[in-house]
Amino acid sequence: MCGIVGFLRHTDSRPSPERFAEALASLEKRGPDASGTWVDERIQLGHRRLSIVDLTEAGAQPMVSADGRYVVTFNGEIYNHLTLRAELDPPGGWRGHSDTETLVEAFRVWGPDCVRRFDGMFAFAVWDREAGVLTLARDRLGEKPLFYRVNREGLAFASRPTALRRLGGGSLGTLNGDSLAAYVDLGYVPSPNSMWQEVRKVPPGHYLTVANRSLRLVRYWDYRHIRPDPSWNQRPEDELIDELDSLVRQAVKARLMSDVPLGAFLSGGTDSSLILSVMKAVSPTVPIAYTIGFNEPEFDESGAAAAIAHHLGVEHRVQKLGVSSLLGLLPDAVAAYDSPMADSSCFPSMAVARLARSGVTVALTGDAGDELFGGYHYYKLAERMAGFMRWPRFLRRKFADVCGAVPAHRLNLLAEAMRKTTNVRMFHFVRSMRKDFPSILLENAGATPSSYYFEQAAASFALDLCPADVGMRLDVAYTLGDGYLTKVDVATMASSLESRCVLTDHHLVEWAMRLPVNYKLRNGQTKYLLKRLLCRYLPEKLVYQPKRGFGMPVASWLRGPLRGWAEQLINERSLFEGTPIDQESMKSLLALHSKGVRDASPLLWSSLMLLCFIACHERGLSLPQFDVTERAA
Amino acid sequence: MSAVALAPEASRRRVLLVLTEVMSHGGIQRFNRTLLTALDELGASVVALSLNDTDGVVTDSPFSERVTVLGFGRSKVRFAAGVARQLAAERFDVLFIGHIHFATLMAAAHCLPRAKRAPRVMLIAHGQEVWESIRGGTRRALGDVTDVVSVSAFTQERILAQAPELGARRLHVFPNALAASWIQWADQGSALQDPSEIYGRYFLSVTRISVSERTKGLVAALEAFATLTDRSVHYVVAGSGDDVTFLRWVTQQLGVEERVHFRGSVSDLELVSLYRKSAGFVLPSGQEGFGIVFLEAMYFGIPVLAAAEKGANDVVSDGVTGLTVPFGDVIGLARSMTRFLEDETLCQRLVANGRALVTGDGPFTFAAFRQRTAALIDVPDPVRASP
Repeated sequence: MCGIVGFLRHTDSRPSPERFAEALASLEKRGPDASGTWVDERIQLGHRRLSIVDLTEAGAQPMVSADGRYVVTFNGEIYNHLTLRAELDPPGGWRGHSDTETLVEAFRVWGPDCVRRFDGMFAFAVWDREAGVLTLARDRLGEKPLFYRVNREGLAFASRPTALRRLGGGSLGTLNGDSLAAYVDLGYVPSPNSMWQEVRKVPPGHYLTVANRSLRLVRYWDYRHIRPDPSWNQRPEDELIDELDSLVRQAVKARLMSDVPLGAFLSGGTDSSLILSVMKAVSPTVPIAYTIGFNEPEFDESGAAAAIAHHLGVEHRVQKLGVSSLLGLLPDAVAAYDSPMADSSCFPSMAVARLARSGVTVALTGDAGDELFGGYHYYKLAERMAGFMRWPRFLRRKFADVCGAVPAHRLNLLAEAMRKTTNVRMFHFVRSMRKDFPSILLENAGATPSSYYFEQAAASFALDLCPADVGMRLDVAYTLGDGYLTKVDVATMASSLESRCVLTDHHLVEWAMRLPVNYKLRNGQTKYLLKRLLCRYLPEKLVYQPKRGFGMPVASWLRGPLRGWAEQLINERSLFEGTPIDQESMKSLLALHSKGVRDASPLLWSSLMLLCFIACHERGLSLPQFDVTERAA
Repeated sequence: MSAVALAPEASRRRVLLVLTEVMSHGGIQRFNRTLLTALDELGASVVALSLNDTDGVVTDSPFSERVTVLGFGRSKVRFAAGVARQLAAERFDVLFIGHIHFATLMAAAHCLPRAKRAPRVMLIAHGQEVWESIRGGTRRALGDVTDVVSVSAFTQERILAQAPELGARRLHVFPNALAASWIQWADQGSALQDPSEIYGRYFLSVTRISVSERTKGLVAALEAFATLTDRSVHYVVAGSGDDVTFLRWVTQQLGVEERVHFRGSVSDLELVSLYRKSAGFVLPSGQEGFGIVFLEAMYFGIPVLAAAEKGANDVVSDGVTGLTVPFGDVIGLARSMTRFLEDETLCQRLVANGRALVTGDGPFTFAAFRQRTAALIDVPDPVRASP
């Protein structure tokens, strides 16, 4: 896990060495162990290293291929790189055993399509010195970030926008109005766009080639067209569990590649418990599990996690915190997330990463289980809505009119969902954070409806998917990479910890796409098959224990310790300039929330995070102060 | 409005068609016109009642005086009354029901006291409208039908899966064909500007652009197009609809807005000129009941790229008469488009095989269509019969 940065110039001007060094230094947390640059007359490449594999100088970056033609700067891990080495024969032989060396030699032989052979998480840039072509590539589901900015001077790229900002002399240009509106709606900015007009993300599963100022974005992997296989419904369930087990084991084994100690996050939920269980089963060493617990029993799952760790016989390190003390992480979170992060669970993520970094450098995580195997309750809602969606449109409209006329908020939302003409639009509505308070956005906000992103992705989905499958695939398309995986990457990198997500293994993802939906949702149960698999490792009482609401108590924070802080932010008119948020509506929303009329915390929180981002990163202002202990008391 | 009187010759097959529309654009309309032309050439006396055509007898139809097309200006009530009157006025030998939505109406009309039932009642099944919708009253109404003619094998399979009681013997695959009139003007040279002078090499899609028809696969095709190495290639989309704003946004997201051209509804002459110089016809649709546009592209000798879905499978055979990919497979689409640009030998082979389907003794020629029609209404095909 590292940080990368670079600049390909189109004119005579380029960032000064000092400015480039400053940009590189901004990525220090991502790579605290070493730093390197490579420069020629066209390009500057930089790398910050967190040493995981091949700790010697032979693994240092940027790295030049054996024939001297290609230079790579690389963030991530290629888990199957030793297998690939058998097919490669670099002139002069292998210099070390790093996956970076494998990458650059693979590129030398196979060109940019080498990414199709990679099993891993990665974001890298390869400069072809002979052809003058730059290639930027990103892993399949977006575990590793890669931003780029094109303007008259050239193309800059980096792991984080902060580094691009430094390269650009402190500014990233104009904010993108459509992206801001999409963020307020969804809680993230869907790829390939970012918060700024000139800055884009290399979308997951794509590589970008830059030759003679011409950009070509190529999708090298796709899951969208894979059909659920109805014949799997005829197969014995145990056979499917065997297959899933084998895939998870292979994915875990691959992610044990390391020359430094490894651990795992353990929340007590299905995904992290499964990862730890399989890790224990396949790892030659006993892994260490890390859990953040809370003093408040209504949020604390550390007891469940402890029982699982005890059953597996693994070392378990728990740090118990007061929930309010997590608020102390707010300034750090705003600083680390250089694009706004709407998901308040970034706080426990940051806390557990700090804890784990005290013992290990790499931690395995269970992210993506919900999106691939049906973990969110709104998938169940989507399935229930499916019945309505089959009604003739006029009947649906009439029924919606009746529901809409009843003075009951939830029924009104249901009515609005029923008015949607397709499953994609209905799911977009269900996902939308501003669905129950649309006036938060100004009337002229965003020329592009954020549903367009969903509709573009869904246009290539396999035919005849059920609504829950549509929802899961949409989440894989955007929510996972642009939301959750970004959250984990930044949270762990802030502590210089490498997180490795097991369930994003592409063999596993493709298998999950073939799995019929009734193995994901069954009899009101979520993640049916994943839980059945977990029962092979843990007693049922530990698998099916009731889940506590693991969400942060943002609603009560905003009514208590953060209320004054939120009011100060919302009253600062200048922060709303250039944003699509209506200041007066936001004031009303906070008032509604404070009075307990409605829980508006998700929308309020995401909007506040946007204001924090504008204050800190765009305007260079300091955030209002708040006293956690006093207010919490 | 009184019932249409048929020509008096007793030897002619008397055919009644109850249709959605005859005279405008669209796949179903073209099928209807081709069928009417075939019946006309087979010497049948024909009355076609058309719900959506302009009110009254259509005077500018391309058919002989044996064929009368009577429009009802979209009035369902007058259309139903017209059907009842026609059934009361005349006993027909064959009745074609042009859309499954009319099956219940016809079953009801046959119950009227003065209705004269035709011995052969045939339902024409085009595509989507029958893939999922046969249940309840519609399914019961199919009991009134002696034959179901489906434009593709997929459509036939879907009907049988929903109404197995029909039995395979009452079902016939009856594909569409390029009409002789279409070929006549297609063969005429176009005075319009050669599109390749504007676009250079370009791919072509001809389709409706509708929000409700995203499964036409245009988004996937655009995503694939954006990844092609050759940045000089353009993409032309002919067809109109309510989804252009969205598709333009997609092209902006993909950075190809300057090389993608939404031409809207184009004239027949423009369409011919677009077909002629295209580097490939691309329509990776997941909803084609048949896909007459593939046949048109084949006729003009351009390679076709389709999704291996539904009715398109009857026309486009992967590696033989075109290339196919699974629906939504953007990477496969990009690979196939690249092959069209780079592999001349492949293109020549696909084009030769494609043209063989729509010329000479090919199964999708008008002659073959007329022969199938003759067999269906049980009359000799005069052209085939002559030495």
